[in-house]
Amino acid sequence: MSLLASLPAPVKTYTAPDAPAPTGPSGEETRRPVKEVPPYGRRQGFVPRRVDDYGGGGAFPEIHVAQYPLEMGRPNQRPGGAGRTDQTVALSVNAEGEVNYDAVVRQGKDAQKWVATTHAALVPKLEQLNSDMPRPDEEEVEAAAKETAAALQAVVSRKQAAVNPKTLPSQPGAPQYIKYTPAQSGGAHNSGAATRIIKMQDMPVDPMEPPKFRHIKVPRGPGSPPVPVMHSPPRALTVQDQADWKIPPCISNWKNSKGYTIPLDKRLAADGRGLQEVQINDQFAKFTEALYIAEQKARASRGPGRSAAAAPSSPESEAERELPAAHRVRDGPAAEGETRAEREERRQRDEIREERRRERERERRLEARDAHGHKRSKLTRDRDRDISEKIALGQAKVSGGEAMYDQRLFNQDTGVGSGLASEDAYNLYDKPLFADRSEVFRSRGRQDEEVHGAGAGGDDAAGERRFKPDKGFSGVDYGAARDAAAGPVQFEADAAQADVFGLDAFLTDVRGGKRREGPLGDAPRGGSMAAAGGGGGGGGGGDGGRRMDFVGASGSKQR
Amino acid sequence: MFSCALDKQVKCWDLEQNKVWGLAGLGDICRVWDIRSKVQIHCLSGHEDTVSAILGQPTDPQVITASHDKTIRLWDLRTGKTLSTLTYHKKAVRGLTAHPTEHTFASGGADNIKKFKLPRGEFLHNTLQQQRAIINCLAVNEDGVLVSGADNGSIWFWDWKSGNAFQQQETVAQPGSLESEQGIYAMAFDKTGSRLVTCEADKTVKMWKEDFTATPESHPVNFKPPKDIRRF
Repeated sequence: MSLLASLPAPVKTYTAPDAPAPTGPSGEETRRPVKEVPPYGRRQGFVPRRVDDYGGGGAFPEIHVAQYPLEMGRPNQRPGGAGRTDQTVALSVNAEGEVNYDAVVRQGKDAQKWVATTHAALVPKLEQLNSDMPRPDEEEVEAAAKETAAALQAVVSRKQAAVNPKTLPSQPGAPQYIKYTPAQSGGAHNSGAATRIIKMQDMPVDPMEPPKFRHIKVPRGPGSPPVPVMHSPPRALTVQDQADWKIPPCISNWKNSKGYTIPLDKRLAADGRGLQEVQINDQFAKFTEALYIAEQKARASRGPGRSAAAAPSSPESEAERELPAAHRVRDGPAAEGETRAEREERRQRDEIREERRRERERERRLEARDAHGHKRSKLTRDRDRDISEKIALGQAKVSGGEAMYDQRLFNQDTGVGSGLASEDAYNLYDKPLFADRSEVFRSRGRQDEEVHGAGAGGDDAAGERRFKPDKGFSGVDYGAARDAAAGPVQFEADAAQADVFGLDAFLTDVRGGKRREGPLGDAPRGGSMAAAGGGGGGGGGGDGGRRMDFVGASGSKQR
Repeated sequence: MFSCALDKQVKCWDLEQNKVWGLAGLGDICRVWDIRSKVQIHCLSGHEDTVSAILGQPTDPQVITASHDKTIRLWDLRTGKTLSTLTYHKKAVRGLTAHPTEHTFASGGADNIKKFKLPRGEFLHNTLQQQRAIINCLAVNEDGVLVSGADNGSIWFWDWKSGNAFQQQETVAQPGSLESEQGIYAMAFDKTGSRLVTCEADKTVKMWKEDFTATPESHPVNFKPPKDIRRF
């Protein structure tokens, strides 16, 4: 105490924070004396600072001091308060006397239940390796499973109930009646009644109403407090590491979208030309060896003599013999015994020949160009060809610039009435496939019969009678023309013309009437004639002997 | 069996037991569904990058997820909240596997394979060597053989207890494949633990078995316990 007395008085005085009231074991016997609050009008100089000063009541409006009855509204309050001006955590000390630096991390009761915050957590613990670390046994597992299952089931059922139509309350709900006993009773409140009955009912919901509230995304909460990082900062990259992971920019052989100008050596660098070794298969060597061996064997098997004869007598003579051959090859066909002048002349002639050849080629090219205005390439050379046959056959590829009409559209026989047939009329083929050519060579008879109709005899409107002759030609068979033959005109072979030179008769005479081979051998006699030029029919009668007829076609074949 | 694919469908192939399951998606969310009613129970959000691996456990933490944001999260399935976040990895965590008998699990990424103790996710130790490849998947045996498969086709076999790699293997791409198509995307041991099945980048599924002709003389294992284990 003497020491304390000798010390000077402290300059500042501190007020210790309010300590919580000690709750004694005795209950109601020892009560704290209730402080009496000065009545209204007598409160000058009175400043309530503690909870007791309020006397169980509220703040005093006539005292112009910040008042916190029941400690409400004080800004420095712990979580839940309206304004936290300083976010500090009280410094605390653990059992060993070390400061708890991890108090920041361990705020909140279940945030980061197990946090590693000390250096001891980093250090490898080898002594624990030999200790037994058994897995939890069956009982613990079952207990955990039960608890977990129950917790999860509660979540699931809650989620399902929200969706299940049976559990949802019907809208609007039935009215609920609540009996309410207000705290203040008296004649003035509630018109003297002690209790009130309140009817609670849900507002009826309009089913067609659009939703009243917008769903707004709420930003995420602050999250759990940061966890200490239990490793040293990552090592800096060594130069070797950086070099290992260096990737050159991609220079594509195909695309260059930014249009960079890249030097050629960079273009080729990543090509991989130098990177791949050309690997020659071993079997090439084996193959050549095998061939060599086979050749040797073949040579040996051929015999020693032959090879000796083929070999030259001496190596020098071989060389000598080779020399003039080499000269010949070098100098051209006439290297031996030719003077320089002759060689010059020959060269000039060759040059002239070459020039002429070149000129001819050029002329050919120019001709081709002049003929069509340009040199015909493969694509254009077929342009001027006539392809009407191909079109008829349906093989042409017609590429028409101007309007081109299919010729089958024109001159069609069907006409407008083609659509008037019934549905199932099979009129796809209205004409026969092959044109009937049998009518072509039908004898027409006389022209005027055709022109003026079949009944020409009776019908004489234009007075054609006067142009018909009174007398016809002699020898003409008019009846044959009238009865028009069914088929084409038949030609008759003239029997008198069968043997013009009288050869057959001659032969039969010579052999004494026996039918023998003629000079033509076994050729059939009496060649048939399809048509005799000028032979059939009368023609002039003047030329008796000089008549040229053709030998039968079959006769000529035999030769 | 449940399978999920990029066509955003989860298909259930054999419905013998109605179980709740979680699904890791290419997104950063894990969803927990009730299979019978097809109702989503929880949406386990919190990861900031792709969730690459997921494990289910019978007791807390019932779901363990690993993500490309270098964290592993342990979840409480009852509430759908994160129990713990493990930030020990320096690179994306791509593989998770839980030991069948021990209450531990291992996680693998491009930097390291780390072992953790359950249920709180306390860090135990790293493996003794580094594979130096992008590890895609992990699998562990009852015999204590941990296998890791990497993007470059290397398969390393580790001893679970010590973390020593006793064998390094390279897959062989099937004929017709390029050398760059050696890569392993998923692997699993069968129920007996004697066969390892790997799904690979050259479109093959390979099955591996133990080489019974190997003896300590033919395949010596040089293991010297290190004085200081690697801390990073």
